[in-house]
Amino acid sequence: MKRLLFSLLSLTTLFSAEYVVDQKNKTFLPGELSVHVGDIITFKNSDPFSHNAYTDEEENEFDVGMQKSGTKKSVKVKGAHDFNIECAIHPNMLIKVKVDK
Amino acid sequence: MKIFILLLFFVLSLYAKTEGKEWLRPATVPQPADNKLTPERIELGKLLFFDVRLSRDDTISCATCHHPKRGWTDLAPSPTAIGFEGRKGPRNSPTLLNTAYNSRHFWDGRAKTLEDQAVGPMQADVEMNMPLSILLPKLQKIQGYQKLFKDAYPKEGLNEVTLAKAIASFERTILSGISPFDKYIQGEKEAMTLEQKRGFELFKGKAHCIECHETFNFTDGSFHNIGLKKGELQDAELGRYNVKNRASWYGAIKTPTLRDVTKSAPYFHDGSVNSLKEASDICADGGRYTEGVRNKSDSMKNRNLTPQEKSHVAAFLEALEAPDLDIQIPKTFPQ
Repeated sequence: MKRLLFSLLSLTTLFSAEYVVDQKNKTFLPGELSVHVGDIITFKNSDPFSHNAYTDEEENEFDVGMQKSGTKKSVKVKGAHDFNIECAIHPNMLIKVKVDK
Repeated sequence: MKIFILLLFFVLSLYAKTEGKEWLRPATVPQPADNKLTPERIELGKLLFFDVRLSRDDTISCATCHHPKRGWTDLAPSPTAIGFEGRKGPRNSPTLLNTAYNSRHFWDGRAKTLEDQAVGPMQADVEMNMPLSILLPKLQKIQGYQKLFKDAYPKEGLNEVTLAKAIASFERTILSGISPFDKYIQGEKEAMTLEQKRGFELFKGKAHCIECHETFNFTDGSFHNIGLKKGELQDAELGRYNVKNRASWYGAIKTPTLRDVTKSAPYFHDGSVNSLKEASDICADGGRYTEGVRNKSDSMKNRNLTPQEKSHVAAFLEALEAPDLDIQIPKTFPQ
């Protein structure tokens, strides 16, 4: 049973995709994403100052915290509802994330 | 070859014409779909903005803390706003200049729209101390206001929503004028002094002011703890952290516009600095405190400016002062 569960988990990981979102010139690039539950969103910070990607929307709530220049942080898509991601420091930064069913 | 040179010259001339456009105020003002600007809405909002009857004891209007003759800040300069019965507010009154372009309102950004912001101060007990449950019936008894609301919002009438919409409409007309800097950007190269021109180069370069004070409004709307106080912060000092306990919001305060900054002393959200030069120097030095500040912004670094360079940056800020808007302050109000 344990082996079966492990195999299923591995399959999920195998089929999940990673989307890299750059934070450059106080803009999320790209500004829109289409993802599936289980996919990974990786935030790269190419600006010379910190950013802080987050969403307070239910199911997918996350906060990567203060992210220094030149670093990467990842989150997993947990819920099936579409959501927006903002930067806590620069509120004009926004990504619209569509979660494909 | 000649064609290539001509083409290159043409492209360069186009570039020269567009260079610096990001520093000029856009021709249009952002406005929500359900509250487009009309002359009736602006005029109604203006009357409400200057009307002291919106306060509990008929002594304070929105303009008391946001006056056009003082860069849309406190008419009587004070570190923090003075409200109902002399009560001290928690923070310095922020300017309303170009507030239409902001994506968050109040120093801690707790309001997402101007409509959300508009009815907050009148209800705050340290400001106008006027609950809407008293204010709305009071306004509804004033026939003049009833008519003006009907003209401005024919299908909505006089209620909390239209009260907020009308004030927000007037606030959207509070726009910066043409400063020496604007003239300079538009090609009048003598509009700024040599010192101010050097200050502008430092502002964009070595001093890194542009990291937060960017584009025509000299703010990117960002939130930072700029290191004015060290140790644990209390109450209003916590800034955006009061909205939600997010680690990066500890002590974080909205980056203000620098337009007409010469008119709005004292400076910073706590009104702790009286001189613009001193405020500018504090930022250039990376904050008042370089150590012991929790969650200090990494945009606040000592930029190692010489005393002369600091003077140039402060001189440049003076070039952002424009003549006051031609606002006719109402002398009579609806009865």
